[in-house]
Amino acid sequence: MSNRRLSTYIDAIVAGRRPPRYRADPEDVEVLQTAIALRAARPGDGEPDDEFVSDLFNELVTQGRSAPIVELAHPRRRRALLAAVAASVVIVGGTVLATDAINHSPAPPATALAPSQSAVRTGTFETADNQVMGQIVAYSGHPSWVYMNVNGSNFSGRIVCKLQIQDGSAVAVGVFDLHHGKGEFSRNITVDISHLRGAKLVTSTGSTVAMATFA
Amino acid sequence: MPRLLSDQPDLTDSNAPHLRVVDADAYPDWEAVYRDNVTRLYRLMYARTGNRPDAEDLTAEVFRTALGPLRLDASRGEVRSYLLFTARTVLASHWRRNLGLPVTSVDPASELAFLTEPSAPDQPSDAPDRARKILATLPDRYRRILELRFLEACSIKEAAHAMGVTISNAKVLQHRALRMAANVDKAVEA
Repeated sequence: MSNRRLSTYIDAIVAGRRPPRYRADPEDVEVLQTAIALRAARPGDGEPDDEFVSDLFNELVTQGRSAPIVELAHPRRRRALLAAVAASVVIVGGTVLATDAINHSPAPPATALAPSQSAVRTGTFETADNQVMGQIVAYSGHPSWVYMNVNGSNFSGRIVCKLQIQDGSAVAVGVFDLHHGKGEFSRNITVDISHLRGAKLVTSTGSTVAMATFA
Repeated sequence: MPRLLSDQPDLTDSNAPHLRVVDADAYPDWEAVYRDNVTRLYRLMYARTGNRPDAEDLTAEVFRTALGPLRLDASRGEVRSYLLFTARTVLASHWRRNLGLPVTSVDPASELAFLTEPSAPDQPSDAPDRARKILATLPDRYRRILELRFLEACSIKEAAHAMGVTISNAKVLQHRALRMAANVDKAVEA
């Protein structure tokens, strides 16, 4: 059975179609890797279409301009942060806004800039049936913060975000609203992000909407 | 309280425009981030998935995810690093969702080219070289079926006709050739 599904998957790659999902066997992995490597060598599809580049840009601009207001953590700094892609500065964490004067130390050269793996952790929110519902980013700094972008359900209403700690405990970091399945949320946190295991989005009645595991 | 740099103009003047310090290596705006990275991200995802629909979806997902937390006062290297970390998570999620196993991955530590090389349209990919090395070690018939299918875009029927075998035989040939190529590929990668 697996060989047939593997062949179907490879046929789709050869034909340039989206491959179907299936539960792969570990022994399929090397064959799939080779098929992908061979297909990637064919001239033509390795460059993005101009139409794709243009459409995605327009979508992101539209998404940014209609992004919801993000409530920031610090009460005295509770301001609206518009996550507009057209804005000249986009900063999360509640310390500065796009229109504020910003002063900071010069950045180090680009070649030395890869942040350590422990500085940023990311995860994908997925529903119980494995549908992607958004992403979460945890950043370790001064301050540390989490940011999440949810987009991919029909749910509207209040959502509680809980961070799951490696010791099994959970910390509720905030509440935000989803409108037709879309919403963003950011908050400063005091948890050491290296101790994070995952995150969970639950409704006000306690039902789990989606879960993420930090990479 | 932000730290004021001594060589900055006096920002306490209420008539002065609000300015921000922009590193020479920083992107001027979000559009510049997008234009400079969309091609390199697409190439990365295409090389990891082998098909355009998935590469486009994953590229879009990286940008949708990265949009919110992106700091434009960060340097280009920081922005690209952040995009790479996001790409790694997005790709891992893609494989978990679609096949249940990680088939390919993004390793930010070994993707130095992503951070430093320009995203020129004519930038050569290393995929043809890798494919050539794999195919060169295979027996003629195994090499030919893979060339016909993967490089020359033949259907299984066309490939069977070109090789003078039945469609069923062509399928078996392709399967065996891929299994052997996978062993070669592992050795090439090592």
